[in-house]
Amino acid sequence: MNTIEPEPVATQTVTRELRMPTGILGFEQMKDYLLVANPDEEPFRWLQVKDNAALAFVVIDPFIVAPDYRPDIPQVDANLLGLNNPEEAALLNIVTLHGANRATVNLKGPIVVNRNTGLSKQVVLANAAEYSVQHPLPM
Amino acid sequence: MLILSRKSGESIVIDGRIHIKVVRVEGDVVKIGIEAPSDVPVHRQEVYQEIQRSNQQAVTSPKTTLPRLPIRKAAAAPTPNETATTNNRI
Repeated sequence: MNTIEPEPVATQTVTRELRMPTGILGFEQMKDYLLVANPDEEPFRWLQVKDNAALAFVVIDPFIVAPDYRPDIPQVDANLLGLNNPEEAALLNIVTLHGANRATVNLKGPIVVNRNTGLSKQVVLANAAEYSVQHPLPM
Repeated sequence: MLILSRKSGESIVIDGRIHIKVVRVEGDVVKIGIEAPSDVPVHRQEVYQEIQRSNQQAVTSPKTTLPRLPIRKAAAAPTPNETATTNNRI
């Protein structure tokens, strides 16, 4: 069969499934998420609840807004996620929108993702005391 | 809930590896010393509550319009931290 695949367009959304066995703090019963990226909305991405299309979190790569961020991920969490070295992990931090002119990011409790398996967890950093749950984003 | 009475300087042991010692009692403040292996996370309960509250405030509809940040995405704006941001891409 000779089908012609359409070229990807710039606005195409990219989705990846993330499994969070312990959920997000306060949303423990929701364990399956879709990570949705739309180039028009960068650097934000969406973490959508898979079984509830009305619920989502806005997330961001924390190093874009806090280059000095040095999260200390507890070994017990790294073990749970099957992480053997830092290169296997990626971080997504939850953004809170406070109206049109203010947004903050939670640097205290990042979502740690195993890039190979999609297994993820919202982790309380060992050095949580050094960071804010409402770190302001430049607007 | 197990409730124990302890005097200043006395300890309890959990699972043979976590030692919790009442260091000092000053009025209504109890200073507690905790010795635990590095694989045991120890946090004030407020940290969990703070993150939980933040999450509840952050949850939104996928239809929400996102603000524009004066930041281009990592790939388009190389910075001294380029390595870290590039490596963090999922």
